[in-house]
Amino acid sequence: MKNISLYSLFGFVSVILTASIAFGQDTPTITIRKSDSINLALGAISGPEASTISQVLKNDLGISGWFTLGAESGSAFVAGGTSTGGSLRGEVKDRNGSVVLAKTYSGPARSVAHQFADDIVETLTGNPGIADTKIAFVSNRTGKKEIYTADYDGANVKQLTNDGNISVAPALSPDGKKLAYTGYQSGYADIYLIDLTSGARNRIVKFPGTNSGAAFSPDGGRIACTVSRDGNPELYVMGSNGSGPRRLTKTRGVESSPSWSPDGREIVYSSDDGGSSPRLFRISSGGGAGRAISTGFGYSTEPSWSPDGHKIAFSGRSGGFVIAITDLRSGGNRTLGSGEDPVWGANSRHIIFSSGSSLMLLDTVSGRSVPVITGMGKVSEPTWSR
Amino acid sequence: MNRFFKVALALTLVCGLSACANKKGDQYAGIDGDYVLGTPLPDRADGASFFGSSVDRSQFSPIYFSYDGITVTGAELSKLDTVAAAMKKMSSDLIIAGFTDERGTEEYNRGLGERRAQAVRESLIGMGINGSRIQTVSFGMEMPADPASNEAAWAKNRRAEFGIIR
Repeated sequence: MKNISLYSLFGFVSVILTASIAFGQDTPTITIRKSDSINLALGAISGPEASTISQVLKNDLGISGWFTLGAESGSAFVAGGTSTGGSLRGEVKDRNGSVVLAKTYSGPARSVAHQFADDIVETLTGNPGIADTKIAFVSNRTGKKEIYTADYDGANVKQLTNDGNISVAPALSPDGKKLAYTGYQSGYADIYLIDLTSGARNRIVKFPGTNSGAAFSPDGGRIACTVSRDGNPELYVMGSNGSGPRRLTKTRGVESSPSWSPDGREIVYSSDDGGSSPRLFRISSGGGAGRAISTGFGYSTEPSWSPDGHKIAFSGRSGGFVIAITDLRSGGNRTLGSGEDPVWGANSRHIIFSSGSSLMLLDTVSGRSVPVITGMGKVSEPTWSR
Repeated sequence: MNRFFKVALALTLVCGLSACANKKGDQYAGIDGDYVLGTPLPDRADGASFFGSSVDRSQFSPIYFSYDGITVTGAELSKLDTVAAAMKKMSSDLIIAGFTDERGTEEYNRGLGERRAQAVRESLIGMGINGSRIQTVSFGMEMPADPASNEAAWAKNRRAEFGIIR
């Protein structure tokens, strides 16, 4: 019985791949049910840095949740490669020996492994990979809250800010090249933008009052944030350099934590207008009225809109805080466990969230979570490039 | 000469109109000029950092709030009378800093702290203090008055503090 289902899955995958090759550039789309998993073997990686590449690749493919990693015999696919130091030639063959993926990646060992892992996921499942991505977060390990960056798996942690003040609420642009955050160097809360390539930093939102909580639009061209200059904390949208600010909301409450829909047309945010606890709302990014989203929690904050557009992850209060997901199509709600401030990865399957002393990477399909940042004091407010 | 005069006149008119618009306040709110629900904030006083040496935080008692609360009630109102009376006698400007306890999520708490500071500011405006003399800032759950994690500490941390800009 097990063999039959494996073969049928293999057949299905083959058909789709063949179709995509035959008809050109179309992305293969395969829907894998929760119980489905592709049997994949990690073959030999040869050359310098082979052990690092193998280790990182295995970790990435394991985290991805799409595969059962095993021996070559009985596997539907085998992945292997040749490292030359500074580059990796990666190759995936099916059980007939036909090459389904062959590509050369350049960069440091960890980077080429992440790139290869993402291509394997995308080729075999049709889903975006999450391995070749960056995260940023807040840690108080110096005694002050500063912004740090790292790879999605917690490697290459770097302290980005050294303000010695309060530096919080980081937001990576979807391409991972820019970072906006809230800093108090002026004595007030302002939003700063750092070009991560050049290191240049500019204060882009500095209205009277408190400016905080920037979120990039999916194309990186705009930010949404909270601005209080009108006499109340309201949501604003402006260019990603702070140009052309425009107020979206107008209430007696606190609007905060905007997150964009994948098409950039809507924003989900929290507001306590009309009550003492914050709830989730959605509003057109062009303006208009906010509409409440039913979450099943009296207190819901820190929403993150999934890149596939279907789900909102958020922090719900239930005694302590829990990570929960509202499905916008069914209206159903799921609670995934304790934590705060979830952010979706590019695949709309994984979430990174804060548990206080660590950042956790959670597979919302399997329910499995692994710590990616630990031992850095209090860590909070993760953001994740796509 | 005639041309120079025209340019000067035009500049005067523009400056005059914009100054007027700023004073009017309701023109300052929102890019589309709508009046929102609070009183718009004045431009910042450069270099006035709430926890810096240019701000005297020792003159007034903090205003305390209930859990998730934003309204100034009961005994806290008499503290505001003291602040308003002092503001009427002096020419210095004021910064109100809003804070929350450590419960609640971080970004929401930044907004809630700002909302508390603005609620206190509106109360002072209602007592006759010109809103152009009052700035606000929120530190959310940062800079607690008491770093402990218990009800007594939380009650001390849900507050708005006053600083006089020297």
